[in-house]
Amino acid sequence: MLKVIVLGFVHIFIILLLSPLYEGVMRKVRAVVHSRQGPPLLQPYYDLAKLMIKDDQQVSGDFIFKSAPVLCLGSVILVALFTPMGTDAPLSFTGDALVLVYLLTMSAVFIILGGMASRNPYAFLGANREMMLLLVVEPVLAISLMTGAIKAHSLMLTDISGFMAATPTLSLGVAGLAFFLVIQPEMAKIPFDLAEAETEIMEGPFIEYSGRRLALFKWAFFAKQVIFVSLFAQICLPWLQTGNAFLDIVLNLLKVLVLVVVVELIAALNPRLKIEQAIKYFAWVIVFALAGMGLALLGL
Amino acid sequence: MANSFELINQIEENFAGAVKVDSVSGRAAFLSTSGERLLELTDFLANKMDGRFIMAIGTDKRPINNKFEISYLFGFDRDGFDISLKVEVEEEKLEVPSITQVIPGANWAEREVYDLLGIVPRNHPDPRRLILADDWPDDQYPLRKDFEHNHRPPAVQVKKIMKEPEGNATVLSVGPFFPTLEEPANFRLFVEGEKVVGCDYRGFFSHRGIEKLADKVLDYNQVPFMAERVCGICGFVHSCSYCQAVEDAALIEVPARARFIRTIMLELERIHSHLLWIGLAGHVIGFDTVLMQSWRIREPVMWLCEQISGNRKTYGMNLVGGVRRDIPESLHPKILETLAEIESQSRSMVDAIIKDTPLLMRLKGVGVLSPQDARKLCVVGPTARASGLTTDIRVQYPYAAYGELEFKAACQTGGDVLARTLVRAEELFTAIDLVRQALQKMPESPIMAEVQDIPPGKEGISVVEAPRGEAMHYVLTGTENRPYRWVIRAATYPQLQAIPHMLNKSTVADFPLIVASIDPCFSCTERVETVDRSKHTLKIYRREELLEQPQRKYQGGEQ
Repeated sequence: MLKVIVLGFVHIFIILLLSPLYEGVMRKVRAVVHSRQGPPLLQPYYDLAKLMIKDDQQVSGDFIFKSAPVLCLGSVILVALFTPMGTDAPLSFTGDALVLVYLLTMSAVFIILGGMASRNPYAFLGANREMMLLLVVEPVLAISLMTGAIKAHSLMLTDISGFMAATPTLSLGVAGLAFFLVIQPEMAKIPFDLAEAETEIMEGPFIEYSGRRLALFKWAFFAKQVIFVSLFAQICLPWLQTGNAFLDIVLNLLKVLVLVVVVELIAALNPRLKIEQAIKYFAWVIVFALAGMGLALLGL
Repeated sequence: MANSFELINQIEENFAGAVKVDSVSGRAAFLSTSGERLLELTDFLANKMDGRFIMAIGTDKRPINNKFEISYLFGFDRDGFDISLKVEVEEEKLEVPSITQVIPGANWAEREVYDLLGIVPRNHPDPRRLILADDWPDDQYPLRKDFEHNHRPPAVQVKKIMKEPEGNATVLSVGPFFPTLEEPANFRLFVEGEKVVGCDYRGFFSHRGIEKLADKVLDYNQVPFMAERVCGICGFVHSCSYCQAVEDAALIEVPARARFIRTIMLELERIHSHLLWIGLAGHVIGFDTVLMQSWRIREPVMWLCEQISGNRKTYGMNLVGGVRRDIPESLHPKILETLAEIESQSRSMVDAIIKDTPLLMRLKGVGVLSPQDARKLCVVGPTARASGLTTDIRVQYPYAAYGELEFKAACQTGGDVLARTLVRAEELFTAIDLVRQALQKMPESPIMAEVQDIPPGKEGISVVEAPRGEAMHYVLTGTENRPYRWVIRAATYPQLQAIPHMLNKSTVADFPLIVASIDPCFSCTERVETVDRSKHTLKIYRREELLEQPQRKYQGGEQ
């Protein structure tokens, strides 16, 4: 029990306090690609602090509008407790792969609801895009996790992760690749940052948010980036496990660092796609992921 | 030249008695006609003779002959010759038939003449206010000679002038402040989901009355500095074009070296403008790497301009009769070195852009403007050349030193954003080559002509190929050492009118890119003020009120 509580605090510490640092690294990488100097590494912390002390110019008294950022960050924290980050997740029980997919979806749903509640046409457009993207991206994630679950005969993320390390097979390779392809939209990175698209619809669902509520959304985004990349690292790149919990967590943080750089490089070297192009693309990814699942059922 | 006389003969044959030839210069012919056969004539000029409508110029000539005058300017690209068709209007009956029925591209020009002088275009399809502010009184026309330049009429009730969508499309208001437009312009997009089904435009939020200043305050040699401030990017184009118009009117021969220096500066301006545009287009579709890299490549050009003129932009080089600064031999190696650097870097950037598949997915087939529409709407510059028209003012109407240099106009037939990108990329390299040629061929001579007194009542037209298209300047000389009438038509003017046609079948995601693809150049002076259309009031907000505002709305929403 004590272990679970300590581990829970470690996870929350990582996603809340360390995640802005990863964002800072991403901004530095982007700056290097751009031939710029870039902001200091700690800039995302300053940004959050600045937003926290700013006035909240709320434009809507709607309950959903006011509570969406809190619920979004809340569901992200909950996801963190189900995600293995080096060692077992603090809350891991049978079926946690499914719970994880649900919780991840929830954080996006709160963004959609918050955007809709602000009653701004741009927010509507953004929420619309987020919804369409969600409908094609989440199935890929679910299918990849299920492929792992079929092979490992278990729905527990810890088992799936361990199984992949022990016996890499064709179907798991396909699942891993499909998983990699959804990292970009899940982290709201170019080419799939359609819902925010600053130059097209001015941050979409967040257009009417300001001050503390915007900070919460941003924070949830930073946290989600770490969670997602860490999940990928644990499931698809499970090597270098030492057995020592502390070392494993540190190793995982390093893996996340490398992956975050890769994600940012992809983002910096591509333009934003249009929503219909993105949907067409992910329709093919779903087919690909389903093929992987078929292979797993055939025992490959 | 032979062709231009043939042209005039043909018009005289077909409209015997209805047209009078006032004067013919090397650059243009000035014809006059009456209102009755204007539509027939414009139809003949535009559709039979392949003339391209450039601008309608209204002048208040009451101090001279008690009449108003509109002159319609047509360009005949094959011959490199302009024809100006004048119609005199009596003060008692301020009306002319609207030529927009024949030439859709004349829409704004006629509305502008109505706004500023009060001459009514009869049967205009869209007779709304264009330039004047929403709260400007109906019977005040700022470009009339009896209107003082510093007069400020009292604000009146605000009229609703924007269009409403047909059917149940949602209105998406883009601007006046929008991150990718960066200048005040208000597009009302009518959208169904992501699809754009229509659009309306309201601009001119920062109309500065520059033309009025020229006839009331400035003198001939102060105007170039004002003209340079028309645009932050193609400033040299405007001052050069104004000077050429005065030189054309007063028959001033500009020394050869000055013409070469103007050419070099114009092409340097084109290089940095196109690099700026490539970067902005990348930024609009989220490709910030293109933005940063192309602006990095652009920077040495600005340094170079600073070495030549003392300023990175807004050089202050032009005067009527020549230029103020020489480009000394000692600077040539530096210029050539910078050009070589820019050329190799841009070459690799453009190659990378053209081969990038996701980028092509965003550019290809977006914002298509067919050659027919391009002709009908009289678009100019890279936008026209991307739609298969071959108009390049530098080739067909050579000015400065372009007649002595060798180059080819870029041309594409796609008509989409990709085609516009390719045209600009090609022009970038042409411009680099042109600077090299000009440096090599630059003769020794003074850089300033002796300018005698400029006689009044002479007309001059000058069109310069700006990076965005053609910038037209018209000057009618006056007394007191200042122009009687100065007209500017910037390159963005016709292109903006083509935006609704380009938006056809596009989505919200394409919209900023399509607007960016014409390289729009609105002006940039604005302050925070709101217009309440329902209560017909205008209010300027203080900071405290701005902070209060959203909360008030929120409380109102809960009641």
